[in-house]
Amino acid sequence: MLKKKIQIENMVRKLRFNNNEMTQQQLAEEVGVSRQTIVAIEKYKYTPSLDLAFKIALAFDREIQEVFFITQ
Amino acid sequence: MNIKIRNTFAEITGASLAMIWMWLNLTEASLMTIQAVSKVLAQGIGGSIILIIALHIIFNILSSIITGQYEEDIDDERDKIFELYALQVSSAIFGISIVATLVLLGWFNLTIISGLIAITFSGFIASILSLLLKIYLYR
Repeated sequence: MLKKKIQIENMVRKLRFNNNEMTQQQLAEEVGVSRQTIVAIEKYKYTPSLDLAFKIALAFDREIQEVFFITQ
Repeated sequence: MNIKIRNTFAEITGASLAMIWMWLNLTEASLMTIQAVSKVLAQGIGGSIILIIALHIIFNILSSIITGQYEEDIDDERDKIFELYALQVSSAIFGISIVATLVLLGWFNLTIISGLIAITFSGFIASILSLLLKIYLYR
């Protein structure tokens, strides 16, 4: 059983820069959240819901596992 | 300072000012009738709501003047989670204080006026503490 806490990391910051240097505000508007939420996700301070994670992945035209992943 | 922290500060300021106003008007509570005490408490609660709305507007106008840009207040899933944490904290504090007030009322044979004041003030304190938690989470 996976009882221990897992650390979910992401590539949001990197993908933003690779995507015509998209700003946090632009990404926030595209997925319908506040800029502070994007900041928190990039700093790994907040793990988004599955719904939001899919929306972010779709914003970069990527698969969800390419954007969000677990580090052991 | 982002819009969430600013709005939370407005709420804390409004609630604190209303509490201070009520406190100043209830210094002679032991000599007041229950109608007079209830009137002060009702005015304080109503006043705090109006004050909070006014402070929200003032804080946002000031922020727009200083930064030169309008910041939209978007409520997303993260805000809802923080809202839930704050609600849990305020409900716990308010619940405990209601029980404590009722127990103390019977134990020390206090007047109903003291109970009324204690319950109203504990509501305000619970609200302020939950708002402080929100600021901590938004920091």
